[in-house]
Amino acid sequence: MNRQPHFLTAALCVFVLAASGCSRSDLPTPSEITATAVRSARRAYDGAPPVVPHPPQKAACITCHTQTGQQVPNMGFAAANPHQGSRHAGATQNCRQCHVFKTTEASFVASAFEGIPQRISKAPRAFPGAPPMIPHPELMRENCTACHSGPSARPDIRCTHTERTNCRQCHLFQQPTETFPSPDLAQSRNLRG
Amino acid sequence: MDRRDFLTTAGAGVAAALNCRCETAFGEGETTASLLNVLWDKAPCRYCGTGCGVEVAVKDNKVVAVRGDEKSPVNKGLLCAKGYHLPLMLYGSDRLTHPLRRDADGKLTKISWDEALDLIASKYQEALDQHGPQAVSIYGSGQWTIFDGYAANKWIKGGMKSNNIDPNARLCMASAVMGFMTQFQSDEPMGCYDDLDIADDFILWGNNMAEMHPVLFSRMLENKRRNPQVRIVDIGTRWTPTSDYADLYIQIKPGTDLALANGILHELLRTDQIDHGFIQENLVFKRGIEDLKEIGYGCYDDQAASYKFKDKAQESSLNELREFLADYTPEKVSDITGVSRASIQALAMMYGNRQKNTVSMWCMGVNQHVRGTWMNNLLNDIHLITGKISRPGNNPFSLTGQPSACGTAREVGTLSNRLPADMVVNNPEHRAKAEEIWKLEPGTINPQPGLHTVDLFRSLARGGDDDVKVMWIQVTNPWVTLPNLHRFERRPGDGRFIIVSDIYPTPTTEVADLVLPSAAWVEREGMFGNTERRTQHWNKMVDPPGEAREDAWQIMQVAKRMNLGHLFPWADDDDWHQKMFEEYRSFTLGHGKDLASYENLKQARGLRWPVVDGRETRYRYAAGHDPYVKKKQGVHFYKAKDNGEKAAFWLRPYHPPAEVPDNDYPFWLCTGRVLEHWHTGSMTRRVAQLHQAMPEAYVELNRADAMVLNVADGDRVKISSRRGELVLPAKIDHRGKPPRGSVFVPFFDESVLINELTLDAMDNISKEPDYKKCAVKVEKA
Repeated sequence: MNRQPHFLTAALCVFVLAASGCSRSDLPTPSEITATAVRSARRAYDGAPPVVPHPPQKAACITCHTQTGQQVPNMGFAAANPHQGSRHAGATQNCRQCHVFKTTEASFVASAFEGIPQRISKAPRAFPGAPPMIPHPELMRENCTACHSGPSARPDIRCTHTERTNCRQCHLFQQPTETFPSPDLAQSRNLRG
Repeated sequence: MDRRDFLTTAGAGVAAALNCRCETAFGEGETTASLLNVLWDKAPCRYCGTGCGVEVAVKDNKVVAVRGDEKSPVNKGLLCAKGYHLPLMLYGSDRLTHPLRRDADGKLTKISWDEALDLIASKYQEALDQHGPQAVSIYGSGQWTIFDGYAANKWIKGGMKSNNIDPNARLCMASAVMGFMTQFQSDEPMGCYDDLDIADDFILWGNNMAEMHPVLFSRMLENKRRNPQVRIVDIGTRWTPTSDYADLYIQIKPGTDLALANGILHELLRTDQIDHGFIQENLVFKRGIEDLKEIGYGCYDDQAASYKFKDKAQESSLNELREFLADYTPEKVSDITGVSRASIQALAMMYGNRQKNTVSMWCMGVNQHVRGTWMNNLLNDIHLITGKISRPGNNPFSLTGQPSACGTAREVGTLSNRLPADMVVNNPEHRAKAEEIWKLEPGTINPQPGLHTVDLFRSLARGGDDDVKVMWIQVTNPWVTLPNLHRFERRPGDGRFIIVSDIYPTPTTEVADLVLPSAAWVEREGMFGNTERRTQHWNKMVDPPGEAREDAWQIMQVAKRMNLGHLFPWADDDDWHQKMFEEYRSFTLGHGKDLASYENLKQARGLRWPVVDGRETRYRYAAGHDPYVKKKQGVHFYKAKDNGEKAAFWLRPYHPPAEVPDNDYPFWLCTGRVLEHWHTGSMTRRVAQLHQAMPEAYVELNRADAMVLNVADGDRVKISSRRGELVLPAKIDHRGKPPRGSVFVPFFDESVLINELTLDAMDNISKEPDYKKCAVKVEKA
């Protein structure tokens, strides 16, 4: 468990530094890199639900993973539940539908899968000084403060003004530019490729 | 413009769009490294019968991510743990990439496709020439795409004049098929998933939906969250994660659900909570052969050669039903089932309450059952007699386990007695219609149904002159899933030839003479049909690894080498998928099974048949919904031509299970699935996150039994039946909690084959084996 984040930290450093042609102020800080490596170690790819990093507990998940998250004795900070307010809220009662525990380090066979890597996010802005836009889908991330504030918020996405609670007054959803809705795709693409 | 050009152009567009908007804060590196060349396209999930929509991210000819498709009406953007980890399933390091032939010392050696295809063609031809059509066979799958199943069905039935084709769906939903066929003369549910959002009462019969259909379960929970009056009743033989969410958990003794259903009917009639107008207008009453001795259970020891029991219908009536149900008073039913009289009456009140919308759901508990067809009949009966059918929020709804058990096995008809669109081989008109569409000489299709799955493998194992000599197995893993597995062990030099097409090595490829590498999921174009009659198309998005090819292609190539090329008159490099689909679609049009056009399916997030004038149907047989119903209101069971277009209500008695615990084997054994793994785990075990969550099989024990046996949680336990034994770790009070005297073992783990212990008793009508009930002994290992 310990080796992997270190390796990933190093790999991410190389990845971020080599790939970025951005200005000095955009360089990720060490704490950003560490936080992203931890995030990466718990997910198959960017966007996959995290595996549960602790053994199963007797209590229901939402006892600790509340709307704001909380400090749990001997275990650390339990991240907040980002699904609060979801139109799929019914589903969020059934946590283990998506979040699995890790009971062994072993694999059945090795995997050659390489998913979309975790990114250190610098959200786009319409112009310098404009509020950053929201670069991810809303679904299952309806509770903004779960990830953007509190002890479990990654430094690169931590909110500086949590006293303002109506996030979407200023932050708009970025059009998902990397998405090509499949009807268009099907029309425009030579499918036999 | 080829695909690569398009990707590059698209990527440049993205980069341009982003760069002009975000000069300062958004690093260029970010744009070019991560976003460029990632394209998203829609597909249904590869795994279960729910048919969730996913969007698939492709980069550099590899799948790099998926996300729940918010545009899919099935899952509305949500997936389960298996679905979220879908892409990893393609990239296990032991993917099969080349055809492999087993040589004299039992080793698999690489050969070319030409050699492999020639060899298969010669083996089939030899078996046909020397032994006739009963010697050849195909064992397919509810995971076959529509294209694969159609190619296989046409090749064997229209080319080799044999009906020895059956899918693993026989082990899974055959009882549901026979339930629908005996009552409505048309397969598949009248209702749809919309009911999950609108019904008031959900009654689950032997069905652990929280693990097996988690996304549908969540949709129901969301309904309950919004509408607190919604009630969920879980009728089961063990406490499962589903029971955690139920308003009422009703524990029932294994196999006694028939008595409970009859008890409910008894109460509905006694309290006159039945819909007389509906009965008058829409029902006929029937009963079949009910003598236990005459019917039997089809176990290997009972009826070694084969199980060919055939039911015979006779007319019945509502009055006869009243007499018949006199045996099923709450007192008697309570004695048989272990369910309290109050619970029986509560269930009857729920079904009988006309103010409430009621849905029954079931899956393997009802289907894998020695009287599974009867149980399907009784559940449909309850909805028929109360008129709670073919109405929004009121339906009996059979859930399916495999992604295209409906779309391929049931609709294409890749069963030993079926043809596409509800037709059967033993009906001369149906054969004539198939021969006409397939442009075959009249009389080509064999009128004798072929062997059903268990008989097919019994015949293969027996090896007599009239038995099966060649079998091609595609997309399934029978050497893990067949019941009483020891019966099917292969001996070297047995004179049989077994071909297996798959994507990974499995216990089934271990017994194969020839192993073929298949293209999986989005490595080829495909279509699946899900539980709610929704046909879903996906594009080929990435190339398969090595020389892997899609299953339909493999079959068509062999057919061409057997001079049966006329069955597939489409050039290899041509867009044969569309042409094949259009031919298949012509079976369905005008029969209430109408599939949408190829073009529509390419665009839509799936469409539910019958699709007439481009419009899908949510509720079959319902006025105002189903375009075949001309009535202004009510329902019309227009497919049931033999019953004057009325549905058949079947009187079905309770029969005990085939094997019941006794002094030597005092525990019930139930087998099944877990949330993390899909069926035999050949895909999901190669996903690290899923394997690490659920690395090995186990036996669930009741805490009181464990104390008596001196077994602690995690201890190793030996379980044995009359057919085999296994050692497994015990789990006590984990996610599932069996009652005293019963144990549960999942079947995903190929290193501990629980089916070496199960009994090959079968349903009398559907011939589906009962994996849920046999007797075992439990000891500390």
